[in-house]
Amino acid sequence: MKEGKSVKFNLQQQNHQNGHLSPFKLAKLLDPDASWDKDQLGDVLHWIRQAVALVCGLLWGAIPVVGGVWFIAFLLISTGIIYGYYAMILKVDEEDFGGHGALLQEGLFASISLFLLSWILVYSLGHF
Amino acid sequence: MTTSQLFNFSSYKYSDSLTVVGISFCTAIVCEAISWLLIYRTNSYKSLRSSIDKAAKKLETMKTETPNSSSSSVAKVKISNKKSKTKKIDRVETSLKESSRDLSLFKFKSGAVVALVLFVVFGLLNSLFEGKVVAKLPFKPFGIVMKMSHRGLHGDDVTDCSMPFLYFLCSISIRTNLQKFLGFAPPRGASSGLFPMPDPKTN
Repeated sequence: MKEGKSVKFNLQQQNHQNGHLSPFKLAKLLDPDASWDKDQLGDVLHWIRQAVALVCGLLWGAIPVVGGVWFIAFLLISTGIIYGYYAMILKVDEEDFGGHGALLQEGLFASISLFLLSWILVYSLGHF
Repeated sequence: MTTSQLFNFSSYKYSDSLTVVGISFCTAIVCEAISWLLIYRTNSYKSLRSSIDKAAKKLETMKTETPNSSSSSVAKVKISNKKSKTKKIDRVETSLKESSRDLSLFKFKSGAVVALVLFVVFGLLNSLFEGKVVAKLPFKPFGIVMKMSHRGLHGDDVTDCSMPFLYFLCSISIRTNLQKFLGFAPPRGASSGLFPMPDPKTN
Protein backbone atom coordinates (compact mmCIF):
# COMPACT_ATOMS: atom_id res chain seq x y z
CA MET A 1 0.00 0.00 0.00
CA LYS A 2 2.78 2.44 1.00
CA GLU A 3 4.81 1.52 -2.11
CA GLY A 4 1.80 2.18 -4.32
CA LYS A 5 1.30 5.61 -2.70
CA SER A 6 4.96 6.62 -3.11
CA VAL A 7 5.02 5.49 -6.75
CA LYS A 8 1.88 7.50 -7.43
CA PHE A 9 3.40 10.53 -5.68
CA ASN A 10 6.64 10.26 -7.74
CA LEU A 11 4.72 9.99 -10.99
CA GLN A 12 2.67 13.07 -10.15
CA GLN A 13 5.81 14.92 -9.12
CA GLN A 14 7.41 14.04 -12.48
CA ASN A 15 4.37 15.24 -14.40
CA HIS A 16 4.33 18.47 -12.40
CA GLN A 17 8.02 19.08 -13.08
CA ASN A 18 7.26 19.00 -16.79
CA GLY A 19 5.73 22.43 -16.25
CA HIS A 20 2.07 21.50 -16.45
CA LEU A 21 -0.34 20.66 -13.67
CA SER A 22 -0.78 16.85 -13.75
CA PRO A 23 -4.35 15.64 -14.29
CA PHE A 24 -5.68 15.24 -10.78
CA LYS A 25 -7.88 12.38 -9.93
CA LEU A 26 -10.97 13.69 -8.23
CA ALA A 27 -10.25 11.36 -5.30
CA LYS A 28 -7.02 13.18 -4.43
CA LEU A 29 -8.89 16.49 -4.15
CA LEU A 30 -11.02 15.03 -1.36
CA ASP A 31 -8.47 12.67 0.21
CA PRO A 32 -7.15 13.86 3.60
CA ASP A 33 -4.35 11.25 3.42
CA ALA A 34 -2.97 12.47 0.08
CA SER A 35 0.49 14.06 -0.06
CA TRP A 36 0.53 17.62 -1.31
CA ASP A 37 3.28 19.62 -2.95
CA LYS A 38 3.20 23.35 -2.09
CA ASP A 39 2.75 24.34 -5.74
CA GLN A 40 0.02 21.77 -6.34
CA LEU A 41 -1.99 22.84 -3.30
CA GLY A 42 -1.52 26.51 -4.20
CA ASP A 43 -2.81 25.89 -7.73
CA VAL A 44 -5.85 23.97 -6.50
CA LEU A 45 -6.72 26.73 -4.02
CA HIS A 46 -6.27 29.33 -6.77
CA TRP A 47 -8.73 27.61 -9.10
CA ILE A 48 -11.24 26.99 -6.33
CA ARG A 49 -11.20 30.72 -5.58
CA GLN A 50 -11.72 31.57 -9.24
CA ALA A 51 -14.65 29.15 -9.49
CA VAL A 52 -16.26 30.60 -6.33
CA ALA A 53 -15.71 34.13 -7.68
CA LEU A 54 -17.35 33.28 -11.00
CA VAL A 55 -20.34 31.53 -9.40
CA CYS A 56 -20.88 34.33 -6.88
CA GLY A 57 -20.54 37.02 -9.54
CA LEU A 58 -23.04 35.32 -11.85
CA LEU A 59 -25.45 34.70 -8.97
CA TRP A 60 -25.18 38.17 -7.42
CA GLY A 61 -25.66 39.73 -10.87
CA ALA A 62 -28.60 37.51 -11.82
CA ILE A 63 -30.68 37.97 -8.66
CA PRO A 64 -29.57 40.93 -8.57
CA VAL A 65 -28.07 42.07 -5.31
CA VAL A 66 -26.72 45.58 -4.93
CA GLY A 67 -24.49 47.24 -2.39
CA GLY A 68 -20.94 47.00 -1.16
CA VAL A 69 -21.98 44.63 1.61
CA TRP A 70 -22.31 41.86 -0.99
CA PHE A 71 -18.66 42.33 -1.88
CA ILE A 72 -17.81 41.69 1.77
CA ALA A 73 -20.14 38.69 1.70
CA PHE A 74 -18.23 37.28 -1.27
CA LEU A 75 -14.90 37.72 0.54
CA LEU A 76 -16.20 35.94 3.61
CA ILE A 77 -17.76 33.11 1.60
CA SER A 78 -14.73 32.49 -0.60
CA THR A 79 -12.30 32.69 2.33
CA GLY A 80 -14.52 30.37 4.35
CA ILE A 81 -14.64 27.83 1.53
CA ILE A 82 -10.88 27.89 1.04
CA TYR A 83 -10.21 27.58 4.76
CA GLY A 84 -12.77 24.81 5.13
CA TYR A 85 -11.27 22.94 2.20
CA TYR A 86 -7.64 22.88 3.30
CA ALA A 87 -8.22 22.74 7.06
CA MET A 88 -11.21 20.40 7.31
CA ILE A 89 -11.34 18.33 4.12
CA LEU A 90 -7.64 18.00 3.28
CA LYS A 91 -6.54 18.48 6.92
CA VAL A 92 -3.15 19.87 5.87
CA ASP A 93 -0.76 21.40 8.36
CA GLU A 94 -0.67 25.03 7.25
CA GLU A 95 2.82 25.45 8.76
CA ASP A 96 4.17 23.16 6.01
CA PHE A 97 2.76 25.51 3.38
CA GLY A 98 3.74 28.92 4.73
CA GLY A 99 0.92 29.48 7.21
CA HIS A 100 -2.73 30.47 6.88
CA GLY A 101 -1.84 33.75 5.20
CA ALA A 102 0.01 32.11 2.33
CA LEU A 103 -2.81 29.65 1.69
CA LEU A 104 -5.62 32.16 2.00
CA GLN A 105 -4.03 34.66 -0.35
CA GLU A 106 -3.64 32.19 -3.23
CA GLY A 107 -5.49 33.68 -6.16
CA LEU A 108 -7.17 36.31 -3.97
CA PHE A 109 -6.55 39.36 -6.13
CA ALA A 110 -7.49 37.62 -9.38
CA SER A 111 -10.65 36.23 -7.80
CA ILE A 112 -11.73 39.67 -6.57
CA SER A 113 -11.30 41.04 -10.12
CA LEU A 114 -13.13 38.08 -11.65
CA PHE A 115 -15.98 38.39 -9.14
CA LEU A 116 -16.40 42.13 -9.77
CA LEU A 117 -16.21 41.63 -13.53
CA SER A 118 -18.86 38.88 -13.64
CA TRP A 119 -21.11 40.68 -11.14
CA ILE A 120 -20.96 43.96 -13.08
CA LEU A 121 -21.45 42.29 -16.49
CA VAL A 122 -24.42 40.14 -15.51
CA TYR A 123 -26.02 43.02 -13.62
CA SER A 124 -25.55 45.48 -16.50
CA LEU A 125 -26.62 43.13 -19.27
CA GLY A 126 -29.41 41.35 -17.42
CA HIS A 127 -31.24 44.22 -15.77
CA PHE A 128 -31.05 47.21 -18.10
CA MET B 1 -36.58 36.48 -23.08
CA THR B 2 -36.21 34.23 -26.15
CA THR B 3 -32.89 32.72 -27.26
CA SER B 4 -32.63 35.02 -30.24
CA GLN B 5 -33.22 38.02 -27.99
CA LEU B 6 -30.57 36.73 -25.58
CA PHE B 7 -27.91 36.57 -28.29
CA ASN B 8 -28.86 39.82 -29.99
CA PHE B 9 -26.07 41.75 -28.31
CA SER B 10 -26.94 45.07 -29.90
CA SER B 11 -30.25 45.09 -28.04
CA TYR B 12 -28.49 45.36 -24.68
CA LYS B 13 -28.13 48.85 -23.28
CA TYR B 14 -24.60 48.12 -22.07
CA SER B 15 -23.44 45.94 -24.98
CA ASP B 16 -20.24 48.02 -25.11
CA SER B 17 -19.09 46.12 -22.02
CA LEU B 18 -18.98 42.92 -24.09
CA THR B 19 -16.82 44.69 -26.66
CA VAL B 20 -14.41 45.78 -23.92
CA VAL B 21 -14.25 42.24 -22.50
CA GLY B 22 -13.77 40.74 -25.96
CA ILE B 23 -10.93 43.11 -26.85
CA SER B 24 -9.31 42.51 -23.43
CA PHE B 25 -9.46 38.78 -23.93
CA CYS B 26 -7.89 38.98 -27.39
CA THR B 27 -5.23 41.38 -26.07
CA ALA B 28 -4.39 38.97 -23.24
CA ILE B 29 -3.88 36.15 -25.75
CA VAL B 30 -1.69 38.34 -27.95
CA CYS B 31 0.38 39.51 -24.96
CA GLU B 32 0.94 35.96 -23.75
CA ALA B 33 1.91 34.90 -27.27
CA ILE B 34 4.46 37.73 -27.42
CA SER B 35 5.72 36.84 -23.94
CA TRP B 36 6.10 33.23 -24.96
CA LEU B 37 8.01 34.24 -28.08
CA LEU B 38 10.37 36.66 -26.32
CA ILE B 39 10.60 35.21 -22.82
CA TYR B 40 9.16 31.83 -21.94
CA ARG B 41 10.61 29.70 -24.71
CA THR B 42 14.18 31.03 -24.22
CA ASN B 43 16.78 28.86 -22.48
CA SER B 44 17.75 31.73 -20.17
CA TYR B 45 14.24 31.93 -18.77
CA LYS B 46 13.91 28.15 -18.39
CA SER B 47 17.23 27.82 -16.55
CA LEU B 48 16.50 30.82 -14.29
CA ARG B 49 13.08 29.47 -13.43
CA SER B 50 14.46 26.01 -12.75
CA SER B 51 17.16 27.38 -10.44
CA ILE B 52 14.59 29.48 -8.56
CA ASP B 53 12.29 26.48 -8.09
CA LYS B 54 15.17 24.31 -6.88
CA ALA B 55 16.51 26.98 -4.51
CA ALA B 56 13.04 27.65 -3.09
CA LYS B 57 12.43 23.95 -2.44
CA LYS B 58 15.90 23.51 -0.92
CA LEU B 59 15.35 26.53 1.33
CA GLU B 60 12.00 25.19 2.46
CA THR B 61 13.51 21.81 3.28
CA MET B 62 16.40 23.38 5.19
CA LYS B 63 14.11 25.63 7.23
CA THR B 64 11.73 22.84 8.20
CA GLU B 65 14.44 20.30 9.10
CA THR B 66 14.72 19.94 12.86
CA PRO B 67 18.14 19.13 14.38
CA ASN B 68 18.73 15.58 15.69
CA SER B 69 18.67 15.88 19.46
CA SER B 70 19.85 12.34 20.23
CA SER B 71 22.70 13.57 22.48
CA SER B 72 22.31 16.67 24.59
CA SER B 73 25.73 16.51 26.19
CA VAL B 74 27.82 17.99 23.32
CA ALA B 75 26.43 21.58 23.40
CA LYS B 76 29.35 23.16 21.48
CA VAL B 77 28.91 20.77 18.54
CA LYS B 78 25.19 21.61 18.41
CA ILE B 79 25.91 25.37 18.39
CA SER B 80 28.51 25.06 15.57
CA ASN B 81 26.11 22.84 13.59
CA LYS B 82 23.39 25.45 13.98
CA LYS B 83 25.79 28.23 12.82
CA SER B 84 26.86 26.29 9.71
CA LYS B 85 23.19 25.52 8.94
CA THR B 86 22.33 29.23 9.25
CA LYS B 87 25.20 30.06 6.88
CA LYS B 88 23.94 27.50 4.38
CA ILE B 89 20.43 28.93 4.58
CA ASP B 90 21.82 32.44 4.02
CA ARG B 91 23.78 31.23 0.98
CA VAL B 92 20.71 29.60 -0.56
CA GLU B 93 18.59 32.69 0.20
CA THR B 94 21.16 34.96 -1.45
CA SER B 95 21.27 32.69 -4.49
CA LEU B 96 17.46 32.71 -4.65
CA LYS B 97 17.32 36.51 -4.43
CA GLU B 98 19.92 36.89 -7.18
CA SER B 99 18.12 34.48 -9.49
CA SER B 100 14.81 36.25 -8.80
CA ARG B 101 16.39 39.60 -9.58
CA ASP B 102 17.90 38.26 -12.82
CA LEU B 103 14.52 36.82 -13.81
CA SER B 104 12.76 40.13 -13.14
CA LEU B 105 15.36 42.01 -15.17
CA PHE B 106 15.10 39.53 -18.02
CA LYS B 107 11.31 39.76 -18.10
CA PHE B 108 11.42 43.56 -17.81
CA LYS B 109 13.42 44.00 -20.99
CA SER B 110 11.12 41.80 -23.05
CA GLY B 111 8.05 43.12 -21.26
CA ALA B 112 8.53 46.51 -22.89
CA VAL B 113 7.02 45.10 -26.09
CA VAL B 114 4.00 43.79 -24.20
CA ALA B 115 3.65 47.16 -22.47
CA LEU B 116 3.61 48.86 -25.87
CA VAL B 117 0.82 46.58 -27.10
CA LEU B 118 -1.22 47.26 -23.96
CA PHE B 119 -0.68 50.99 -24.37
CA VAL B 120 -1.86 50.93 -27.98
CA VAL B 121 -4.93 48.84 -27.12
CA PHE B 122 -5.83 51.14 -24.24
CA GLY B 123 -5.51 54.11 -26.54
CA LEU B 124 -7.80 52.44 -29.07
CA LEU B 125 -10.39 51.61 -26.43
CA ASN B 126 -10.18 55.14 -25.07
CA SER B 127 -10.88 56.63 -28.48
CA LEU B 128 -13.85 54.29 -28.93
CA PHE B 129 -15.44 54.66 -25.52
CA GLU B 130 -14.34 57.99 -24.08
CA GLY B 131 -17.21 59.65 -22.24
CA LYS B 132 -19.44 56.58 -22.70
CA VAL B 133 -21.04 54.57 -19.93
CA VAL B 134 -20.13 50.95 -20.74
CA ALA B 135 -21.66 49.26 -17.67
CA LYS B 136 -23.60 49.82 -14.48
CA LEU B 137 -22.03 49.14 -11.12
CA PRO B 138 -24.14 47.20 -8.59
CA PHE B 139 -22.49 49.13 -5.78
CA LYS B 140 -21.48 52.71 -5.01
CA PRO B 141 -17.72 53.06 -5.39
CA PHE B 142 -15.61 55.46 -3.40
CA GLY B 143 -12.11 56.89 -3.34
CA ILE B 144 -9.70 55.76 -6.01
CA VAL B 145 -12.19 53.18 -7.32
CA MET B 146 -14.69 55.93 -8.05
CA LYS B 147 -12.03 58.05 -9.76
CA MET B 148 -11.26 55.16 -12.09
CA SER B 149 -14.82 53.96 -12.61
CA HIS B 150 -16.22 57.45 -13.30
CA ARG B 151 -13.28 58.71 -15.36
CA GLY B 152 -14.35 60.91 -18.26
CA LEU B 153 -18.06 60.51 -17.55
CA HIS B 154 -20.54 63.33 -17.16
CA GLY B 155 -23.28 63.37 -14.56
CA ASP B 156 -23.41 62.63 -10.86
CA ASP B 157 -24.45 58.98 -10.96
CA VAL B 158 -21.44 57.26 -9.42
CA THR B 159 -22.72 53.83 -10.44
CA ASP B 160 -22.05 54.62 -14.10
CA CYS B 161 -18.97 52.67 -15.16
CA SER B 162 -16.42 53.92 -17.65
CA MET B 163 -14.14 51.85 -19.87
CA PRO B 164 -10.87 52.17 -17.85
CA PHE B 165 -12.29 50.46 -14.77
CA LEU B 166 -13.85 47.61 -16.73
CA TYR B 167 -10.66 47.20 -18.75
CA PHE B 168 -8.64 47.12 -15.54
CA LEU B 169 -10.82 44.33 -14.11
CA CYS B 170 -10.62 42.41 -17.39
CA SER B 171 -6.84 42.74 -17.55
CA ILE B 172 -6.24 41.50 -14.04
CA SER B 173 -8.69 38.61 -14.09
CA ILE B 174 -8.16 37.40 -17.66
CA ARG B 175 -4.39 37.79 -17.86
CA THR B 176 -3.67 36.31 -14.43
CA ASN B 177 -5.81 33.26 -15.05
CA LEU B 178 -4.55 32.83 -18.60
CA GLN B 179 -0.96 32.87 -17.36
CA LYS B 180 -1.84 30.38 -14.67
CA PHE B 181 -3.64 28.12 -17.12
CA LEU B 182 -0.77 28.17 -19.62
CA GLY B 183 1.84 27.64 -16.90
CA PHE B 184 3.44 31.06 -17.36
CA ALA B 185 2.71 32.34 -13.87
CA PRO B 186 5.83 33.52 -11.98
CA PRO B 187 7.40 30.89 -9.68
CA ARG B 188 6.27 31.08 -6.05
CA GLY B 189 9.85 31.27 -4.81
CA ALA B 190 10.46 34.49 -6.75
CA SER B 191 7.45 36.39 -5.50
CA SER B 192 6.16 36.82 -1.98
CA GLY B 193 2.56 37.40 -3.11
CA LEU B 194 0.35 40.48 -2.98
CA PHE B 195 0.25 40.51 0.80
CA PRO B 196 3.63 39.17 1.94
CA MET B 197 3.50 37.43 5.31
CA PRO B 198 6.53 37.12 7.61
CA ASP B 199 7.91 33.63 7.92
CA PRO B 200 6.98 32.51 11.47
CA LYS B 201 10.04 30.26 11.64
CA THR B 202 12.50 33.13 11.37
CA ASN B 203 10.84 35.22 14.12
